[in-house]
Amino acid sequence: MTTERLFDIVNDPMRTDVRSPGRLGLEQILDAYQRDPDFASMVTRWERVPAVAPRLAPFPVWLDERIVRTLRGRGIHALYSHQAQALEAAHARKHTVVVTPTASGKTLCYDLPVLHEIAKDPSARALFIFPTKALAQDQLAELERLSTEMEIELKTYTYDGDTPPQARAAIRSAGHVVITNPDMLHTGILPHHTKWVKLFESLRYVVLDELHMYRGVFGSNVANVLRRLRRICAFYGSHPTFICTSATIANPVELARRHVEEDVVLIDESGAPRGEKVLVFVRPPVVNASLGIRRSALLTGRDIAATLLASGVQTICFTRTRVQTELLLTYLRSRFPQPQWPSDLVRGYRGGYLPSERRAIERGLRDGSVRGVVSTNALELGIDIGALQAAVLVGYPGTVASTLQQMGRAGRRGELAVAFLVATSSPTDQYVIEHPDFVLGRPPEQGLVNPDNLHVLVGHLKCAAFELPFDRAERFGTEDTPGVLSYLDEQGILHEAGGRYHWSDQAFPAEAMSLRTASNDNVVIIDTTAGRTRVIGEVDRFAAPVLVHEQAIYLHESRQFQVERLDWPSGKAYVSEVKVDHYTDAGLSVRIRVLDSFASEGVAKRSGRERFGRAHGEVLVTALATVYKKLTMYTHENVGWGKITLPEQELQTTSYWLSLAADATPGWPRERVEVALAGLGDLLHGLAPLFLMCDPHDLGLAVEVRSPHTERPTVYLFDMTPGGVGFSERLFRATDALLERAREHLAACDCESGCPSCVGPAYAIGHDVKASVAELLA
Amino acid sequence: MELRERLARVAAARAVLREVEGRTWKGSGSNGTGSADGEEDLPLRGMHVKRHQIDDETHASPSEGPGRRRERDARSAPFTTSEERHDLRELGLEIVGLTPPDPLTLAHLGLRGEPPRRWEDVVFLDTETTGLSGGTGTYVFLLGTARIEGGELVLRQHLLQDLGAEREFVGAIHKELEAFRACASYNGKAFDLPILRTRVVLALRGELNVDETHLDLLHPARRLWRDRFGSTTLRQLEASILDEPRGNDDVAGALIPDRYFHWLRLRDQRIIEPVLRHNARDVISLVRIADRVARAVMDARSGRVPDHARAALALARIFERHGEAEPAYRCYESAYVEGDSTIRVRAALPYTRALERRGEIDRAIAMLETLLGLDIGTPSWREQGESRLRRLMRVRWRKQALATAS
Ligand SMILES: [Zn+2]
Repeated sequence: MTTERLFDIVNDPMRTDVRSPGRLGLEQILDAYQRDPDFASMVTRWERVPAVAPRLAPFPVWLDERIVRTLRGRGIHALYSHQAQALEAAHARKHTVVVTPTASGKTLCYDLPVLHEIAKDPSARALFIFPTKALAQDQLAELERLSTEMEIELKTYTYDGDTPPQARAAIRSAGHVVITNPDMLHTGILPHHTKWVKLFESLRYVVLDELHMYRGVFGSNVANVLRRLRRICAFYGSHPTFICTSATIANPVELARRHVEEDVVLIDESGAPRGEKVLVFVRPPVVNASLGIRRSALLTGRDIAATLLASGVQTICFTRTRVQTELLLTYLRSRFPQPQWPSDLVRGYRGGYLPSERRAIERGLRDGSVRGVVSTNALELGIDIGALQAAVLVGYPGTVASTLQQMGRAGRRGELAVAFLVATSSPTDQYVIEHPDFVLGRPPEQGLVNPDNLHVLVGHLKCAAFELPFDRAERFGTEDTPGVLSYLDEQGILHEAGGRYHWSDQAFPAEAMSLRTASNDNVVIIDTTAGRTRVIGEVDRFAAPVLVHEQAIYLHESRQFQVERLDWPSGKAYVSEVKVDHYTDAGLSVRIRVLDSFASEGVAKRSGRERFGRAHGEVLVTALATVYKKLTMYTHENVGWGKITLPEQELQTTSYWLSLAADATPGWPRERVEVALAGLGDLLHGLAPLFLMCDPHDLGLAVEVRSPHTERPTVYLFDMTPGGVGFSERLFRATDALLERAREHLAACDCESGCPSCVGPAYAIGHDVKASVAELLA
Repeated sequence: MELRERLARVAAARAVLREVEGRTWKGSGSNGTGSADGEEDLPLRGMHVKRHQIDDETHASPSEGPGRRRERDARSAPFTTSEERHDLRELGLEIVGLTPPDPLTLAHLGLRGEPPRRWEDVVFLDTETTGLSGGTGTYVFLLGTARIEGGELVLRQHLLQDLGAEREFVGAIHKELEAFRACASYNGKAFDLPILRTRVVLALRGELNVDETHLDLLHPARRLWRDRFGSTTLRQLEASILDEPRGNDDVAGALIPDRYFHWLRLRDQRIIEPVLRHNARDVISLVRIADRVARAVMDARSGRVPDHARAALALARIFERHGEAEPAYRCYESAYVEGDSTIRVRAALPYTRALERRGEIDRAIAMLETLLGLDIGTPSWREQGESRLRRLMRVRWRKQALATAS
């Protein structure tokens, strides 16, 4: 990653050019695509981004001469401007956040200050925190290479779940740089800080790489882990400087401040050069107008990737899920049969592969022996796979930041590169593909965290008390710290003595707490047709009672499956393929009770009418799936029903709500209000993730024709995380923009009366749904 | 909403979610409810048992009790120290405190570094802690030590009176422990000492230097007795080696942390008393087990080899490791003679080595031939046995050749 342009060109024999493209060069392929009317009709934007020249800055005069010598030896005679800025800021002990594109040499921004510090003072220590273990491995290798070349005595170790117990003692006392992840910091290092005295006494730098990953629940947890870290540092008398790096988001400084809780310097002007690049936005055509179904993004993506690979263009494909990765891999391999093509022409890469397998693929990508790879977002982060020529994104990755990072995998070295984004029929994808500027312009997404969410904070406050007793006046995030402490004292979890609160429970609190969301705790769908057992997909657990209750018809890749058995406790739905002329529709009775309203106000009038009121606050959501209906395809007649017996789910969280004012639906019959409200709910729920850097599943939807709280028809969008991570407040503030986007999206949607990409299918909600929602928003 | 109410809701929401879904909140942590259950029935149980114990003690005159007990109690003191003295022979000791410590015996017990010359330099210890998982939030609240002093066993217990006074408490026990050349424990290497070390760092920012001189009796006890009794918990050894099973009034180790927390809140001596007794018993058993281990070693060395084959084999290995060829040989022999075929297979190869060292090549060859003829042992063992046999044959041949030549 640090081996950027200058390394590559001057002094890196490993990075000789990718094998020269075969039959057709990339230029010709793109040309052919532009001339092909079928392809051109799918393209919503063809953007050519010109090359950018580097901006360089001299090495700081204070920089250790061994470092300078080594860099010169590698052919680097200057730094990129952002690297030099980062170096100066870190050297001046200012917390820093560096926001520059993929492959701009971010790693040197923190490697160099740390190397310099340890070169000057061998007792100095640094802690590198990476969101995943794989990233840590990569960093270890790079830092070791650098320090060896520089002849600086520097011991770098990774400390994670894979570190053998025999090695741990040496790492604790001798490691200059300890590379770890937040989870290990949380359960393995902080609660045992007395074994890390040397590290904490002399901790100068903490590196937080991929800061944008620390958002949502995970980020809120990590922010609290960092509070604990700083508390322990203070106990041992150190005050480390934080160096953060982040992908492009709208609020890097705010996010960094939430984590560091002190002033942070922003460095966001990249001095790195960029090659010429073509970005293509592709929307597969509608194949079933009645159901509003488009051609599969996966198949369209396969065709593009196959064309590129057949011409020798080294290509990376990104999919959104593991299952899709496997599917696309299978599709592509069947396009390149042996023996005409080498067996490992295309490789798969995702979590769940063995580390050695992954390393081999990474090497293959770097040296050009692997020509194609299909990956989940596992390869989006800074794992060193060198430069590829083309990237094919199957489905919008969910955030602009991810999109840019994935697209950035193509084209690092001053040659022409291309990235395709192929949209699925989900509302978010359709919005993005219809509005490419959403990706190409300034990012609208905020990395949101809410470290003071009591659900999150109390858990960490317990961990903190386990680590060191609390002084009565001490603050841990919230102003209310003394209140929380005395509450825990009453509960017997803490014990006050001598003016301090001591941990007084035999449990080890960190062990019982995971930093990650429960979002990967999905219900897995297992196809058992003809004696197979094959995972074909997964659904969110909150949605599972509706989608995969027993007897439900589950659609997958345009095929019908019936759920034969749902093993609720272990999260498995067993299905088999069927050919029937009906589908199922389950009713979910969601009840929402407002516990506390934090703020509420009217939405600016439009066309002289007051239509909406907005608010956000704390709610209690209960959801119960009760019955399902069997409806015929196309005619949607009710031909039967059944009961669903699954447990009710309860969730205490924060919610945003939008209520219709009396003027919004003048004289409308109740049924029409119901239909319009349901459609509006679907539309807003589909678009809200565009602002929040979240997955649609992170946000729940409920509508009430007459809310007991607002006494008006109301749409609720609530945070699926207990306690909330800040989505509702952000939506409250962004209401105008959200409604504006909804209006645009509805007007641009090709469908006649409502489809899954906008307000939901008209046949299921009501024939006038699209028109009614349009009138509400007009 | 009121903070208090919100916190209660947080706790409730977690409980509900955990129940309903059984998985959403991996991260609930331990909340008050878990320990609250224990708290409710704990004091009652404690009171019944204890009342009668305390009465016993109050009425007992010093000479009638198992030991003479003195207590230095100060209400406001950060910790209290109590002391009782025991007659060594009444405790059934034969070696500890009575015959000078033998360096090799101590080495057999796992001691590294320079051995102490007097039993007075060894401290036996056992801690009671506020949790079993380690980490910086686990406090040591009770340290029980035993030492030999003036021909008596002196048992001391330091009890932390409140968590806020930890610094003084740890300072005092740190000082007490540092005065000794060696310390002995049961499973202390893995449990008591790491926790003590953590407390010393936290409270004093200091270090505890007992590593090199630490005797962990768990390991020799395991070598000697695991095969015979299955488990080698201190509890098990009391029953099987000392023949004094612990009664029903003994408080279970898992309940000790909650009992201490409970005592901190209620300050009723009847709650903590059983914990003190439990700890005292642990420390004394520790000394007596050490005595038994030492006795087994001394006996074997002086020719009284245990007739229990597995113990003999364990001792044989210890002797061999420390270069005492003669007792090693005798123990191997005993293991071989008394053992069943499994033990014989395990003892055979080292036993031939011992025989060879003594020059008894013929016996070694005869034994191996017999064993291999029985068609027992694993293929890899048989392979080793056969190669050993071939080597011994060559040695014998060479010896004979030399004898003929001269
Ligand atoms: Zn539509």
